[in-house]
Amino acid sequence: MTLYVVTMPSSLFTQFKSEDSIKKKLSLLIRNRNFRRFFIQFVFGIFLLLLFFYVVDKALNLELGFGHLSSRAGFGLSHTFIIDYNSNDSRWMGYFAGVINTIRVSLVGIVLATILGIFMGLARLSPNFLINKISTGYVEFIRNTPLLVQIIFWQLLLLQLPHISKALTFGGLSVWSNRGIYLPIISSNENGSLWSLILLLGLIISLILRSRLFKYKEEHVDLFSPNLISFFTFVVIAIISFFALSMKLSFNVPEVNINQHGTYIQSGGFALTPQFAAILFALVLYTGTFITEIVRGSIQSLPIGQTEAAMALGLNTYQRITLIILPQALRSIIPPLTNQYLNLTKNSSLSVAIAYPDLFMVSRTIMNNAGHALPMFVLILITYLTLSLIISLIMNIINRRVTRIGA
Amino acid sequence: MILLNWIRENFFGTKLDVAMTITGVLFIYFVLSTVISFILNSDWTLIMVNRQLMLTGLMPQEEIWRIWTIFSLTSILMTISISFWFKINIKGSIFYILLLLIPFLIFTTKNTVLYVLLIMFISIVFFYLGHRSKNSKLKNIVSKIIMISWIILLPICFLILNILDGPKMTLWGGFMINLILAAIAIFAGFPLGILLALGRASSYKLIKLVSTVYIEVIRGAPLVAWLLLAWFVLPKFLPNLFGLSDINIVVRAMIVLSLFASAYIAEVIRGGLQSIPKGQEEASFALGINSISTTIFIVLPQAIRIVIPTVVSTFIAIFKDTSLVFILAITDLLRIGRLIPEQQQAFFGKSIESLAVVALLFWVVSLVLSQISRTIEKKLNI
Repeated sequence: MTLYVVTMPSSLFTQFKSEDSIKKKLSLLIRNRNFRRFFIQFVFGIFLLLLFFYVVDKALNLELGFGHLSSRAGFGLSHTFIIDYNSNDSRWMGYFAGVINTIRVSLVGIVLATILGIFMGLARLSPNFLINKISTGYVEFIRNTPLLVQIIFWQLLLLQLPHISKALTFGGLSVWSNRGIYLPIISSNENGSLWSLILLLGLIISLILRSRLFKYKEEHVDLFSPNLISFFTFVVIAIISFFALSMKLSFNVPEVNINQHGTYIQSGGFALTPQFAAILFALVLYTGTFITEIVRGSIQSLPIGQTEAAMALGLNTYQRITLIILPQALRSIIPPLTNQYLNLTKNSSLSVAIAYPDLFMVSRTIMNNAGHALPMFVLILITYLTLSLIISLIMNIINRRVTRIGA
Repeated sequence: MILLNWIRENFFGTKLDVAMTITGVLFIYFVLSTVISFILNSDWTLIMVNRQLMLTGLMPQEEIWRIWTIFSLTSILMTISISFWFKINIKGSIFYILLLLIPFLIFTTKNTVLYVLLIMFISIVFFYLGHRSKNSKLKNIVSKIIMISWIILLPICFLILNILDGPKMTLWGGFMINLILAAIAIFAGFPLGILLALGRASSYKLIKLVSTVYIEVIRGAPLVAWLLLAWFVLPKFLPNLFGLSDINIVVRAMIVLSLFASAYIAEVIRGGLQSIPKGQEEASFALGINSISTTIFIVLPQAIRIVIPTVVSTFIAIFKDTSLVFILAITDLLRIGRLIPEQQQAFFGKSIESLAVVALLFWVVSLVLSQISRTIEKKLNI
């Protein structure tokens, strides 16, 4: 309080001094709004500081520091992606492999859930009775059961696929067994990843070119089609790099063989292990229901006149949806959609229940092996917050593009 | 002819419609045939044998009366509030009754048939009473009584579970623990959430900062992480008073779920606060009402009224999330559903059947709650 008396405005100070009794001085202060503000926050701040000291005091008794993460991990991971990890690497490496696994399942999940959600959202508004009811049933059933139950359900289901010796092959195209689902994939020689990188670069270049050309076309001449030119650019880049890297593409079909010991071995193809497939299916289906509802709500909030006008102009259903409805609905879809993406990423931590080694499961293993629970929690928190921030950032950029008038 | 027209317009209007209809029919046929053959080919004695285990976990037989008492109190309160507050149409009430009957019938044993019949009879009487008092002079008093009973229901449940040397908390389990955890989370999380929302909307910079950081940090990490924190770290941070430092795992789950729920509820209520026009507050100030009374009597009631449906869906989300307490080794419904096919010889390998029962129970309760939320939404005209 003395602190405030020193810093208070001079007008109040003179008034404060002129009052003689201490009671009047106090009542003057209490009636002053600024003083009340200061006083409440001051008390709150002291309380907070005490709590902070208490927590720090308790925390200092625990094991702190990240030193244990540099030593040998000693546990293997059933799934590694991009980076090679084995049990002789450091725990940091294991944690990093876990982060990659989380990003992998979240990224694929986000893409698939968005596609599913948009289709189901459109289906919920379809005049076709059957399609409408399928979509409604999907939302009502999947949304109201716990995600964990669904994850376990998919895992049980995938483990009930036949043994590898009796694997379903669907005409030799893929291998479905309780070891996982193996799908055919186009594979290439060792330059494959470089080529796909160049393709991605080419795609970005052609998209930038397209938007530039559109701007040029509006301002100057109307002689060419920007779509065609940018597509042509992309194809040229793809073909040139294809021959420059001397690429060979082949169709990689998974197959089952028996080796000399009589054990079954499957080879080739794109592998979906039961764990990965279970967590992916469950996340996609579960998040898909929420995206369905978001899409439906956003489209329903558009004035009906938009659809009617599009019909009056003679646009067909596909044109109506892609040119009129979705671009407008996207503006109100994207903010809640971002929330669902964040939820999906956080929900991927439930893979701990089926032993898919995501970042949460790896940190739990480290905690069990080496203790140091509190620093690990801080690490988990920071990782998830970073992932959330990245998703929010990307979605904000998209949102800015979408809400721009005339885009 | 009308029917034919309807079919043609609905299913075969355009080429796209034809394609979608055919795909849809195939899809429905596939799903229905799989589900029906699964239902017909499995052995459902699993439910009959394990129904009590699923409902109450490892609660000893002589303590079951506590659960029945809670059950009957809740169902009586529920029926009277439905009949008192909601407009009853026959279709809706049949829907509710059927949904509530399914778990009831599944879990009724020979010894408890009388109990169930008695509860049903009393519930019907209260249903009628609620319906009658809707238009009588006692309307306001009854409304208040119902409201107060809802608030004190949870403490009473706790009392019933603990008086006369009740069972240890670690013996609580089954579907009961899911319901209790969810109820506690919302009961404790709601006031805390209101405070946090007000804090985040307040002009006091420090309070605003603290509330914002709290909400964002809690929402930043998944619930399983917080539950694991409760398992490893929480006891070390609690003061060594009244045995607080070695509280049992159920209480820890309650604390974490409440704190977790409060952050989400705070965000929901903040949305409600933002949607209240500024004029309400200004008008209240102009009338000479001070800022605390303005918040409590003018702004908050309107904000909460708007967000009730969203709060209910948060509640449903928390209820579904209670299945995550598996990480604390609490024997909740899901855990029991997974243990049965592993430990009972008669049901080895029946994991999908067992899981289906678990899913069905969660689904029924969530569906009833979401129906109630939809009814409230309609009634409040939001």
